[in-house]
Amino acid sequence: MFNFLKQVGDYAKDAAQAAKYIGQGLSVTFDHMQRRPVTVQYPYEKLIPSERYRGRIHYEFDKCISCEVCVRVCPINLPIVDWEFDKATKKKKLNHYSIDFGVCIFCGNCVEYCPTNCLSMTEEYELAAYDRHELNYDSVALGRLPYKVTQDPMVTALREFAYLPKGEMDPHDLPPDAQRAGQRPEELVKALQKEAAAQAKPEES
Amino acid sequence: MNLAVDLQLICFVVLGVAMIAAALGVVLLDRIVYSAFLLGGVFLSISGLYILLNADFVAAAQILVYVGAVNVLILFAIMLVNKQEDFTPLGNRWLRQGATAVVCGGLFILLATMVLATPWALDTTVVIENTVVQIGRHFFSDYLLPFELASVLLLMAMVGAIILARRDFVPEGIDPLTRQEALTLPERPRELAGTPSDPR
Amino acid sequence: MNSGIDLQGSFIQTLTEFGLPHDLARAFWIPLPMILVVIGAVVGVLVTVWLERKVSAAAQQRIGPEFAGPLGVLQPVADGLKLVFKEDLVPNKADPWLFTLGPVLVVIPVILSYLIVPFGQNLLITDLNVGIFLWISLSSIAPIGLLMAGYSSNNKYSLLGGLRAAAQSISYEIPLALAVLAVVMMSNSLSTIDIVEQQSGYGILGWNIWRQPVGFLIFWIAALAECERLPFDLPEAEEEIVAGYQTEYSGMRFALFYVGSYINLVLSALIVAILYLGGWEFPIPLDQLAGWLGVSETTPWLQVTTASLGIIMTILKAYLLVFLAVLLRWTLPRVRIDQLLDLGWKFLLPVALVNLLLTAALKLVFPFAFGG
Repeated sequence: MFNFLKQVGDYAKDAAQAAKYIGQGLSVTFDHMQRRPVTVQYPYEKLIPSERYRGRIHYEFDKCISCEVCVRVCPINLPIVDWEFDKATKKKKLNHYSIDFGVCIFCGNCVEYCPTNCLSMTEEYELAAYDRHELNYDSVALGRLPYKVTQDPMVTALREFAYLPKGEMDPHDLPPDAQRAGQRPEELVKALQKEAAAQAKPEES
Repeated sequence: MNLAVDLQLICFVVLGVAMIAAALGVVLLDRIVYSAFLLGGVFLSISGLYILLNADFVAAAQILVYVGAVNVLILFAIMLVNKQEDFTPLGNRWLRQGATAVVCGGLFILLATMVLATPWALDTTVVIENTVVQIGRHFFSDYLLPFELASVLLLMAMVGAIILARRDFVPEGIDPLTRQEALTLPERPRELAGTPSDPR
Repeated sequence: MNSGIDLQGSFIQTLTEFGLPHDLARAFWIPLPMILVVIGAVVGVLVTVWLERKVSAAAQQRIGPEFAGPLGVLQPVADGLKLVFKEDLVPNKADPWLFTLGPVLVVIPVILSYLIVPFGQNLLITDLNVGIFLWISLSSIAPIGLLMAGYSSNNKYSLLGGLRAAAQSISYEIPLALAVLAVVMMSNSLSTIDIVEQQSGYGILGWNIWRQPVGFLIFWIAALAECERLPFDLPEAEEEIVAGYQTEYSGMRFALFYVGSYINLVLSALIVAILYLGGWEFPIPLDQLAGWLGVSETTPWLQVTTASLGIIMTILKAYLLVFLAVLLRWTLPRVRIDQLLDLGWKFLLPVALVNLLLTAALKLVFPFAFGG
């Protein structure tokens, strides 16, 4: 009899605990309802990509020396460098260069290792196409510069979270000169220089 | 003739035709699932007739018990039994069907003569306002014994179902090894993909 | 207690004053409540769909439908139109008759149940003696439609979903009915009007939720399970069985399922509001307020005000519960089928029985508070 009562008591305790947890969960959900939406209305509003954004790769045909370093560092040997040896000038003559962005994983190794900096990352990420072969960019397509989000009159450019002023959560209606939280690189450099100068002074005297 | 009487007559004819057609379908159709669904139709038409007879509580109980519980359980049983069985056509099948038809027709005629011969003591003047209260009164006065007997019967059925469904009662004399074998699916033991069995 | 507004009587009287025979006037009246119920149910569904999408969006810090109409209120209309114009597909080797009849059998009982939902003293379609019992028995027809849809689709996921739906709804019907029974015992009547009347007189303090807190919880959980709302949406668990019995459905037949499930949700919320939250009663007892202010009960403007306030209060309470259901949807994870049946048979059923016995005992001990 006593055992049975204990069982019932334990059961009731469990039920009360479950109810408490459900209440906690509900309060979390309810709390989220009061927060501002984080939606970016995509075709009309776009986030400004960060400085080190790894988007579509840009390529300058004239700078390339056909060294094929990009092919060697690529995880899947993706870039196609079509060159032939020109006997008259005893130099490599580059005919075609192409990267298939349907296969590329945008790791950035080719950009990192290119000896003449003819490869670089852009901030373009809208690569949708109706046919996957359209993603195989040749040297002309690779040489195009993307349209900047900030210069597009159709688009409201929004700053990403890390680029908002301190305490600000909403990228809409910001004053254009509002500075992001923390110090900018040039300010850091200035502070370092000042510190160095301050350290150098006592040594002089 | 006024509107209410007309409507009642139309409802009665529609419900009666629907009920008879559905009942014939239950008996005559070959596929058992159709029969089960049409059985639900029969129950629904019967509850409609109850409503026409001002027996609203009985109609609702009819839907709840027969459509909502009995018919659903029949459907459950049909759908969970995953057995395809083609019946072999019997010779002289028409003989059996004819005999059944004769018996059923005889029963129908017998019942019909009984219905027509009985002097029903109908009293259409009294309108029962609250059928639920009336049913409750009858249950606890003059129909107490059948009511209690039915409830005891249902209780017994429930206890029996619980005992049948409980797992901790295992009949003795069954070897646990063979029982284990009976529970496993009749599947071929699969070879692992990484170990080639025939070296080439 | 005054009888309030008699719409049917005044409508027929107006028509007979125009020179129409009495029967013809009644024949004109007959289709009106039916049309009203269907329109009301559909509008309720549109509002619920919009509310669900907006509340879901807010709970996830999104915006939700925005461009179709102001605040996206026309989005459910657009969805409905899309479903109407979609191609009417019947899968190969499906059973076309059962396939069509399934969704119809799911929707019709739900719409029929609106017969007993009162929005005011006289503002309901029929005041049946069996009232709330009719709702319980009608909602037990729906599993047949679900089984029919699941069986006729010729798809194993559909069949599994249909079986799950039927099992779920017949096992949660019992705690639901027991919770209703406790309320019925207190009000001595199955009629929805009497149940609300019994809660009136003391404003918010007289509502059944204070006398039946456990019953309220049981009823709400069981109602969510009956509507296949999210903590219990196993019959259409998309991660396991695609969409359950709806897998093969598209176009208007799917729309029937969709509308049916939302009507069921609104209906359950309305019934909870009637059984436990005082139906059309205002939180402050309006009759007594009018009495103190010296306004007669039969004053026309008072009657119109209380009637419209009653409708507003009923709908407000129901939508508050719908809002709670949407919040629960984004808070609780889906239960497993064994957990579901455990909860139904091993928790809700005993608790509902104890609740019923307690109510009976309290009714004998305190006949004043618990409806002697």
